[in-house]
Amino acid sequence: MSFLFPAFLLGAAAIALPIVLHVLRRNEAPDVPFTAVKLLNRSPLDGRRRRRMQDWILLAARVAALLLLAAAFARPYLQSAGNPSLRVVAVDRSYSMGAPGTFERTLAMAREAVDAAARGERVAIVAFDDRAELIAPPGGRAEAQAALAGLQPGFGDTRYAPAVRMGVELAGGADARLILVTDMQRSGWAEEEPPIVPDTLRIEVREVAGPAGNLAVTHVRRTAGGAGVGIRNSGAHPGAGTARLLLDGVAVASTPFNVPAGERVDVQIAHKMPERGAAVVQIDDEEGYPADNSRHLVLDPPARGRILVAGADAAEPAFYVTRALTAGEVVEGVEIRGIPAAALGRDRPEEMSESRAVVLLSTRNLDRRGQERLAEFVRAGGGLLVAAGSEVDPGVLGTAMGWPEFSAVEEAAGASRLAATDLRHPIFRAFGPLAANLGQVRFTHTWRVRAAEWQVMARFTDGAPALLERQEGAGRVVLFASDLERRWNDFPLHPSFVPFTVEAVRYIAIPAGAKREYLVADAPPDTGGAPGVHFLEGTGDRVAVNVDTRESSPAGMSGDEFMAMLRPDGGAQPPPAHVQAEQTEARQGFWRYGLLLMLGALVAESFVGRR
Amino acid sequence: MELKARTVVEGFLSGLHRSPLRGFSVEFAEYRQYLPGDDLTAIDWRVYARSDRHYVKKFEEETNLECHVLLDVSASMGYRGAAPLTKLEYASVLAGALAYLMHRQRDATGLIAFDDRITFRLPAGARGGHLHAVLLALERLRAGRTSNVAQPLRQLAEALVKRSLVVLISDLLDEPGAIIKGLRHLKARGSDVVVFQVLDPDELTFPFQGAANFRDVETGEAVLAESAAIRPAYLRELAGLTGRFDRELRGAGIDYLQLDTSKPLDLALLAYLASRQRRK
Repeated sequence: MSFLFPAFLLGAAAIALPIVLHVLRRNEAPDVPFTAVKLLNRSPLDGRRRRRMQDWILLAARVAALLLLAAAFARPYLQSAGNPSLRVVAVDRSYSMGAPGTFERTLAMAREAVDAAARGERVAIVAFDDRAELIAPPGGRAEAQAALAGLQPGFGDTRYAPAVRMGVELAGGADARLILVTDMQRSGWAEEEPPIVPDTLRIEVREVAGPAGNLAVTHVRRTAGGAGVGIRNSGAHPGAGTARLLLDGVAVASTPFNVPAGERVDVQIAHKMPERGAAVVQIDDEEGYPADNSRHLVLDPPARGRILVAGADAAEPAFYVTRALTAGEVVEGVEIRGIPAAALGRDRPEEMSESRAVVLLSTRNLDRRGQERLAEFVRAGGGLLVAAGSEVDPGVLGTAMGWPEFSAVEEAAGASRLAATDLRHPIFRAFGPLAANLGQVRFTHTWRVRAAEWQVMARFTDGAPALLERQEGAGRVVLFASDLERRWNDFPLHPSFVPFTVEAVRYIAIPAGAKREYLVADAPPDTGGAPGVHFLEGTGDRVAVNVDTRESSPAGMSGDEFMAMLRPDGGAQPPPAHVQAEQTEARQGFWRYGLLLMLGALVAESFVGRR
Repeated sequence: MELKARTVVEGFLSGLHRSPLRGFSVEFAEYRQYLPGDDLTAIDWRVYARSDRHYVKKFEEETNLECHVLLDVSASMGYRGAAPLTKLEYASVLAGALAYLMHRQRDATGLIAFDDRITFRLPAGARGGHLHAVLLALERLRAGRTSNVAQPLRQLAEALVKRSLVVLISDLLDEPGAIIKGLRHLKARGSDVVVFQVLDPDELTFPFQGAANFRDVETGEAVLAESAAIRPAYLRELAGLTGRFDRELRGAGIDYLQLDTSKPLDLALLAYLASRQRRK
């Protein structure tokens, strides 16, 4: 036990005060001549004894309160011993661990890691795939072993970063050891922001040998003559087998395939496919990962509709955006139609109501009826992407949508760039680490929008909100605070323009549940995250959930390569001893308990003193 | 003392006691014409036969009763709390009043003072100068040592040769079993026994405050206690003690009266005599 401010312990000398008072007060009792002292002695409730006992309790309570107060001010803390006090065992449960025998070996190594914990060392168990879950909080080895007993491989893909971050979080800056038990797939670091690891966290990797090769169905598509199937061989030897097509659970066709080592082939399974239903293509691969041996497909026709791109120019409205959306295929079967903004009020109402989203690039000649239709459309569940620009009058937009704060939106001139602040947002998720490329776009004019009722997904480098989102009735609105038609920036000339525009429009055009194919990591909650064909609650839509085929490659990496992906905490010098002591004391916070105990002692003193 | 005793007694002289020797040694005084309400047995039928008028005989009361006043002069009787008199002073006035009363009734009165032994003894006498001797002795009494009530009771019981009236005046802060046993013994030997327990208001209410070191005036024993904490238990003990005296003495036919030294003595005596009169 050490103290941050030991000088305060001198305050403990104050305990002399109640002791002296106690002694003085004891002598204060005056002599009173009396006759019936025998009766006092005979009293069954001996007040004298009780009084004496109470005096000692009172003295003890007062002394304890003063000692605790002095100790609390001295800020006590426990210096950590040489051994780390926490051992976090992170177990890989991605679907690659489902290869025959792999997970049994994984659990055995995890159990060894738990048993190796030193006496007094707490053990936590984290299970991870594309996310990390704490299945045994820091505690004893028995609890950790019990948690391991119930662990099974899942259908997620490997991501190391969430497990490392959870280890860092559990360690809380104290000395700790993180042991990852994994098959060391290289894909586990793909598109991941390397986690920052403090010096106090020691990371060890225990490699579990996986299969030498793996055959995986990478995609299934409906084709004119049946189904087009992609099969990849990640092994060092050629692979061969039969791909089977099952319709609603019944095998209806098959075709043989041969895949050279490290190659992917597309095969066709000839069959007249029904208009509706669910199909699954399966292959046999006894050595590889079972989860990627099948792939599901929904045969239901895609929902029709259109996306209106309202620009200023009647002849060629919204040139860049229209081209980007057409090239990117926002949603299968959806028509992209460019119209002048004035047409929103002139066209038949069905034009808009049958659309899935409106991209508003201009408010020129947008009359009152057009404004009302636009607002009704959004509130009824339609999507709206608004891009600022000289053609968009914020006052008109604010009037149309009922956003009074838009009358105060100002145009700002000055060079700035874009920085995504929420990389997990669906618009930026497709970019992965390449989201940084958005920073190459140069903006000369932007809007200054007060983001009080908006969620900000990206900002300009001057701090102003760049990409904002809000819910409007049943619809979703995304506002880009600069132009998409190359008037205020050079965005359309950058490679990131097409994916950005497509993802932004897809985000507003496809509300949750309208998508027909998901990866396990993105699957709606009511699918349970398991591969297969599911019916969504509410809409009743049939959706297919498949595993992420990035996990299908057993290519591994060495421990050094793994460690190289970690970012040490700035490589800074360890903080001075007094700073470490302050950090340790702040983390332990024993002074709070001292004050609480002191209050308890004072309450006890008050209680005893009243009797 | 004589003045005090007379002041207390004047006004209620109609009999402290019944004569234990009924019909013995009475002298005729005079005749008086019968008045309604007079005892019919007192009518002298001979005079009626002679004069055809109803006359009742009137006798001068005179007994040879011996009254022994036992006065506790232990140190505890010297205690004075909130009251104007010490218990011994109060008890002396009571003893003097009783002696005066006896003298007025022409009974013989004796005085025994004691603490843990008999410290003064004046044999019973009825002569004119005897009252003065009793009162003088009472005037000179001082509180002594520790008390032992049972001891003089035993000695007195051995010394009494004829049935008497024994009056014990004490605070009775002694072993109750021995006191009760001694008094019963006296009663069994034919004496009429009256017990006055004299207590100071401090002893009756325990009005002390705060922590105090209570020191026994007889033994010097000290008890450190918080007054408020110990008060209920003390009062329970005192009530138990006096209740035991009241129950067991009355059960043995012994009169028991508790006196508060802060209360006027004549009122206390009046109440006692009234109750005694009712039982006649």
